[in-house]
Amino acid sequence: MSSSLPVLPTPLEDTFSKLPNSQQVYMEQELRTRPLAPAPHIPANSGVVGHIFSSSSGLSSDLQYSSASPHEKLPRTTSFISQSSTPIPQTSHSGLPQSSTSSHYTKESSSSWCPESLPGYVDFAANTPVQNSQMEGSSCSGAIVSEEFSKRNDWHEWADQLITDDDPLGSSWNEILADTSMTEMEPKMSYQVPKTPTSMPAHRTQVHQQLPASSTEIRTVVTPSASANNAPAKPRMRWTPELHEAFVEAVNQLGGSERATPKGVLKLMKVEGLTIYHVKSHLQKYRTARYRPDSSEGSSEKRLTPLEEISSLDLKTGIEITEALRLQMEVQKRLHEQLEIQRNLQLRIEEQGKYLQMMFEKQKSGIDMLKGSSSNQENSSTSLAKSELEGTQVDHDKKGSDTANANSTNEESSQPKELDGKQKAPETEAPENAELNVSELSSQPSKRPRTEE
Amino acid sequence: MKFGKRLQQQIEETLPGWRDKFLSYKRLKKLVNLISSSPPPSHRHCVEAEADFVYLLNHEIDKFNAFFMEKEEDFIIKRKELQQRLQRVIDTWGPNGARPSETNCKEDMAEIRKDIVNFHGEMVLLVNYSNINYTGLAKILKKYDKRTGGLLRLLFIQKVLKQPFFTTEVVSKLIKECESTIAQVFPVDEKEIGRREPTIRVTGEGVFRNTVAALLTMQEIRSGSSTRSQFSLPPLDLTDSEFIRTLQMNSPPIPIPIL
Repeated sequence: MSSSLPVLPTPLEDTFSKLPNSQQVYMEQELRTRPLAPAPHIPANSGVVGHIFSSSSGLSSDLQYSSASPHEKLPRTTSFISQSSTPIPQTSHSGLPQSSTSSHYTKESSSSWCPESLPGYVDFAANTPVQNSQMEGSSCSGAIVSEEFSKRNDWHEWADQLITDDDPLGSSWNEILADTSMTEMEPKMSYQVPKTPTSMPAHRTQVHQQLPASSTEIRTVVTPSASANNAPAKPRMRWTPELHEAFVEAVNQLGGSERATPKGVLKLMKVEGLTIYHVKSHLQKYRTARYRPDSSEGSSEKRLTPLEEISSLDLKTGIEITEALRLQMEVQKRLHEQLEIQRNLQLRIEEQGKYLQMMFEKQKSGIDMLKGSSSNQENSSTSLAKSELEGTQVDHDKKGSDTANANSTNEESSQPKELDGKQKAPETEAPENAELNVSELSSQPSKRPRTEE
Repeated sequence: MKFGKRLQQQIEETLPGWRDKFLSYKRLKKLVNLISSSPPPSHRHCVEAEADFVYLLNHEIDKFNAFFMEKEEDFIIKRKELQQRLQRVIDTWGPNGARPSETNCKEDMAEIRKDIVNFHGEMVLLVNYSNINYTGLAKILKKYDKRTGGLLRLLFIQKVLKQPFFTTEVVSKLIKECESTIAQVFPVDEKEIGRREPTIRVTGEGVFRNTVAALLTMQEIRSGSSTRSQFSLPPLDLTDSEFIRTLQMNSPPIPIPIL
């Protein structure tokens, strides 16, 4: 293991050598905290694995040195070629997926190095000043294009192109029904690069998280609508309603979806970062949607109403249909509601987990200074301490949620193992966590057996 | 019941084109078992399995992202399309239109209503897709950490939270928009609302069926776990919606556990 570790930083350093120092430091920290993370294991049997890694790092450096704009085919071609030539380690193992083409896995290798890089990107972009730049033409939109390695040097440009604007989506439907024209609305982009890392994760994602989705991007699109799969990989584009508005306008100006050409639309839209491939595939989808409106979502899907059969459209049946639809709507709305609640809970849970982690690390650094050895105390007391803290976190969670089940607040059985060696004295926790209700759980054993609710 | 089984159920119930887009939970679990069953950590197979595990995770995430963004794009296009259709119908057959005709208008409107409702349903199913895959990822990472003592989970989840497939805001907005449209487009018919069939059979592979399945599955997933922790979600309470209790899925019929 130790022999393989030195290999780990090298490709990364090579890859990310052009990044600002803060990023590099961050990544190195990550490497330290994740010793078990993708370790490039170079002994004989896993030579294949090592090969993949070296190819991905070679790939990265290739792309890095091409300071060409993101739309260049060349870096993409290079990536495609170099990746397709690498063998797949997984074929030597049983039970691994081959549901998609083998190139998926080879592409995967490059993005598997990305986990470390992503937080770095997040931080980096957050520090880049956002400038409001008005786009030309009647539409002002910024494209969010996902490109993996080649974008590393272009962050300044990207950040500049993003427009801070808060125009809400919900304009169209009501406008139609109020009988006003759609074209009067001004499409605006509502992307924003916030300065603080913790704010508005939604918007940030659309800027940053295109990165991992990129290089594996077009090949991983297995749907038939991804045309020109033989072409070099195109970066995955995340379309937004505003962008689509601009698209539709451009198409209409060119005489409709049949007459409009991708090139023409691209020119008219004047959206930075948009490539002709994006427009092409989008145009294809658009055309399909217009001329086969009911089957654009997948003609294989059968849309049956919940009632048995609708024979004719007389008034009585009409009411039944409407009722069935209403019922359907109710269920769907409910599901959506629950999904939103669930998602918010999940986000909060993870945030608290992060907070917890941070606190432990702070404590560890603090306690390291205070205490000497006394490893006897460690195991039982650290686990106990952790369960105290976690239990109280559970309290906090549950209090806040609508559907809390009272029984669950005292349950916890997670990961005391992590903390062995991290904490030395539970007593110091109490003053630091004054607001937490520690006493409730002080009598619990550190590891709870698995119990049913 | 275990998550893996629930996920499998969900996959079986889902729309046909979506079946292979879900999380490969079983495979990931196998890898975790492989990793944890071959100590010491420096063992060759163990390290390989770990690398495979991370590869697979990233691969899955890319799969989700690609599918999700594809669908999102489709929805954006379709929404526009439906808007235009609606406008056309109102213009042609509506009271202020060129050729006002009630029956034609009603027919077209019924058609559009059905399409809008199905559109709404499909979007909700996409959000559900996103959520269930996230849940699966969280679970498998937790399992990994538990078995290997690693610290992969927190970091990885932070990354996942920022992925396109998890950031479902745009789709949610479209859904809400859709709901308000439907409220305006549907006729208000008070006397019919009270009447409900005692048991409503949900047949076929349509959007409605999948939505119901998704809702029930979500409830079951959250109904109780032996490994509850501060990372677990509280149980789902659907008891306040009467009609959901009366819903029954066809083949096989699934009785609805009320908590």
